[in-house]
Amino acid sequence: MNPFFQRHRLGTPLVLCLALLLMTLLSFTGSAGLQRTVTEILIRVVMVVGLFIFVGHSGVMSFGHMAFVGIGAYGVAWTTMEPSMKLLMLPGLHTLLQQADLPWVFATVLGALLAAFVALLAGSVILRLSGIAASIATFSLLAIFNVIYSNWDTVTGGASSIVGIPTPVEDWQALAFAVLAIVLAHLHSISRYGLGLRSVREEPVAAQSCGINAWRQLLVAFVLSAFVCGLGGGLDAQFLGVVNPDAYYLSRTFTCLTMLVIGGSASLSGAVTGVIVLSVLIELLVRFEAGVTLGAMTIHLPTGSQEIVVGVVMVLMLIRRPAGLMRGRDWSWPMRSTPAKANLKARTPN
Amino acid sequence: MLSPRLFRTAVVLTTFLTGAVASSVALAQAGKDLVIGFANAKSGWVEAYDTPARRAAMVRIDEINAAGGLMGRHLKVVETDTKSDRAQSAKAGLDALDQGAELLVVSCDYDFGSPAALQAQKKGKLSFFLCAEDIKAGIQGVGKNSFSASVLAAVQGATMAEWAVAKRNVKQAYVLLDSTIEYDKGICTGFDWMAELQKGLTIVGRDTFKNGDASIAAQISRIKALPKEPDAIMLCSYIPGAASAVRQLRAAGINSLILNGSAVDGSYWLDSVPGLSNFVVPVQGSIYGDDPNPKVEEFNKTFAAKFGARPSSTYAYPGYVLIDVWAKAVERAKSTDADKVTAELEKMRNEPTIFGPRTFTKEIHHQNQARMLISEIKAGKPAIVDQWTITKAVPLDVLLKK
Amino acid sequence: MTAALQYLFDALSLGSLYALGALGIALIFGVMRLVNFAHGDVMTFAIFVLIAPTTEAVAPLWVGAWSTPLLVLTVLVAGAALSIVSEWLVFRHLRHATPATTMMASFALGFVLQNTLLVLHSSRPKAVNLWPTLSAPMNLWGARVPGLQLLMIGITMALLIGLAWMLKRSRVGLEMRVAAENFDMARMLGVKANRVILMAFGLSGTLAALIGLLMVSQTGLVDIRMGGPMMLVAFVSTVIGGLGSLGGAVLGGFLIGAVSTALQAWLPLDARAFRDAFVYLAVILLLLWRPDGLFVTSAVRQRV
Repeated sequence: MNPFFQRHRLGTPLVLCLALLLMTLLSFTGSAGLQRTVTEILIRVVMVVGLFIFVGHSGVMSFGHMAFVGIGAYGVAWTTMEPSMKLLMLPGLHTLLQQADLPWVFATVLGALLAAFVALLAGSVILRLSGIAASIATFSLLAIFNVIYSNWDTVTGGASSIVGIPTPVEDWQALAFAVLAIVLAHLHSISRYGLGLRSVREEPVAAQSCGINAWRQLLVAFVLSAFVCGLGGGLDAQFLGVVNPDAYYLSRTFTCLTMLVIGGSASLSGAVTGVIVLSVLIELLVRFEAGVTLGAMTIHLPTGSQEIVVGVVMVLMLIRRPAGLMRGRDWSWPMRSTPAKANLKARTPN
Repeated sequence: MLSPRLFRTAVVLTTFLTGAVASSVALAQAGKDLVIGFANAKSGWVEAYDTPARRAAMVRIDEINAAGGLMGRHLKVVETDTKSDRAQSAKAGLDALDQGAELLVVSCDYDFGSPAALQAQKKGKLSFFLCAEDIKAGIQGVGKNSFSASVLAAVQGATMAEWAVAKRNVKQAYVLLDSTIEYDKGICTGFDWMAELQKGLTIVGRDTFKNGDASIAAQISRIKALPKEPDAIMLCSYIPGAASAVRQLRAAGINSLILNGSAVDGSYWLDSVPGLSNFVVPVQGSIYGDDPNPKVEEFNKTFAAKFGARPSSTYAYPGYVLIDVWAKAVERAKSTDADKVTAELEKMRNEPTIFGPRTFTKEIHHQNQARMLISEIKAGKPAIVDQWTITKAVPLDVLLKK
Repeated sequence: MTAALQYLFDALSLGSLYALGALGIALIFGVMRLVNFAHGDVMTFAIFVLIAPTTEAVAPLWVGAWSTPLLVLTVLVAGAALSIVSEWLVFRHLRHATPATTMMASFALGFVLQNTLLVLHSSRPKAVNLWPTLSAPMNLWGARVPGLQLLMIGITMALLIGLAWMLKRSRVGLEMRVAAENFDMARMLGVKANRVILMAFGLSGTLAALIGLLMVSQTGLVDIRMGGPMMLVAFVSTVIGGLGSLGGAVLGGFLIGAVSTALQAWLPLDARAFRDAFVYLAVILLLLWRPDGLFVTSAVRQRV
């Protein structure tokens, strides 16, 4: 095979992007509702891939990444909403922002850069911690973000939703950003930063003795993951047209983390697979709950059972595959056996 | 033998295809029926708040159908589930619109109703919030064809302020704000605005708490530290935090008159504070059987007959009002075209409904002035003691500045 | 002086609630190295046995109408039973999984519990008037303290001492710690390891149910989401106190209660809504100062 292709392990991102493309094309055979669902899935892929960049490589469970998603979402709201609307609803905005009416791609990237900047500041402080202390610190970040955005009424609209964000994002736009996220994650993964961070995760002392600065590797991953999460947030805002601080708080944090862990947090394919499998499952159950006509019968799940079934399936999946569906391995191309990229050894907790 | 990897891919693709097939939507059946879409929460935590108002709307729809329909056409209801999720709300709205809805009735809660309402606005259809009390549930937030059927939170706060000064001779008030949701802030904004206009009313202190706080001991200590117990406490909150706060306030020996927003209406929570007295709530209609308009009690009985229990709070009523005013506007416009119906709605000034007069203008698709019934709880028993309409409508600036 | 004393009691009363929650979480972590996100939902589930399952606005009392000793016993047993079942069905199979997996599994479990309650009871809060006389304030040296708070503080301290003694000195506690340290070795040495871990979970479930009872008595309501905010803080308290240390968890709970009350009392009005942001900032600062928590136990200490 082409040495460039193999050396940079381009098989993995290629397979993943093709799978997403296939999914998007298939969605056109269905209704507008199906296309919206696929767009949601693609946006979720961006968020979970962003999460993976940090959590997967460092092994630190981060509860705070939805803060970056939210910062990206609000950043987009500030720069793309009609200025007259902003004057009405967000009177405290600085004049520069209030007048701003930027093209949507630029606004999305700008929002993500803001998230990355906040991550740089916050990360340089909290990434000195490790293990569960770091996880709690990231959760504190999320809580702080939520409190500030829920109460800074004149700038963020407070706990109530901001409505009126233009919505140019549909399947193709979301797909483009999902591909971008996968490419960024992959580049980080095969770069010396990704490798360095993984070595810190596996054997911190040995890594240190090789001259790898744990804090720096963590910071790079943190900032990059915040950037990608910020992109996801910007997309989300420009898809739904509505932002709200509670949408980027606990429930989405756990949904994304669960998708990541179920797919296998140690590999990029795990992240993407986890999103697709769980999203498809949820969507199927939602349809069954609404009632599906197959021939002459209508199958109808009792209302409220969808969440319960999803929860039970999640638990079962985790019991059956504690290391995730992909077990830390990646899809690759062509389909012949390739050495495992990062085998997640199941360890007895110590 | 299919390799595990291929097998997995195949499973994923098949499930998708099934989903795609299963999602073929029944397209609109045009013709005799007039379709009203309800994109509400049938599951998840918002369900408990959407269901009463939706049921009330059904009562009015049945009444209209029994009387021969609207413009001779039968009213058909299409219900989709938002599952208390914003993204799903947008899809539920889309689904209902695809099934030919001329009117989209969305969730009570503004945060969950707006994604669906936006879909309706994009398609140029009228949307109505079941009972949202945020000014943005209308032109200012969603668009020119969006309305809300309830009374703004600020009006509730303002009513409390004016009534308390006029009827209960309140001179010193304390404001306790639950900063969790926007609705609460709306009540307190209205109260503050009206309080400033009242001569002889001083606000002796303010504090905030969060609905989920297990204990408001610090807030209570601050009230206790005042030289004199305030005549009234304006509590801008909702159940469960409000009930917990009242329980702790009374347990601490604070016996001031407690003023509230409509959200605490209902007797279902009164067991939390047994023997409660000196507690006042503004409502749109009485669920207790003592409404000055006998038609309201008729409605309560019809509701009970249809659904097994009387309405549990005043929040059922906006659903009835919604269908009522919309049907009238459609009849006047002689069409269901969104812009024509909007124009008719905007002409309504003090349009009589069994729950009080309703007004819509070009600027405000909401009630910024309304007749409210004052319900007082004495020894754990609620009853209507008075009614009040604020003498000045809450201005748009106040509503937007929050 | 009275103001300071009042503040102290306010802080203690808030802190004791968090401390009790933290105890339950710390117990499971100290024994099992498992962070149990379902703890709050176990508490809520145990409390909901007080009322009959109905989606109507007013729920008739079920266990709530029984006599006090029977009521308390039933609720505590319900909590213990649920916790034991969760161990048997879920956590037992995850003994060798990574912390991340068990965390997410416990969260999924909590999700299932909460949604089951939602289907049974609807999301509307239901009123339950439990022991209203406890909330009557008592006058202690000029400070006003509801009797319930004193009870909470007392229970927390008693439980702390009792549990610490049990884990360190009693045979049962020893067996618990040994089974968690090295499961197979413990069994070889004659410890009924599975049973012992079940007991640890049962104990944790009982603690959860206990906090639930106290919370219901304080707020007068049951609500499917009542476990959430308090458990979050309890989780944070456990970590800042030092994972695995019971005393640390209790101290962490009291510390957060103190900081929260102080901020509520002293922040200017405009900043008061941001109180929680300051609390979490304080948490970050504390963690930076003491990354392993206030009391470092051998469970957490890194060894090269």
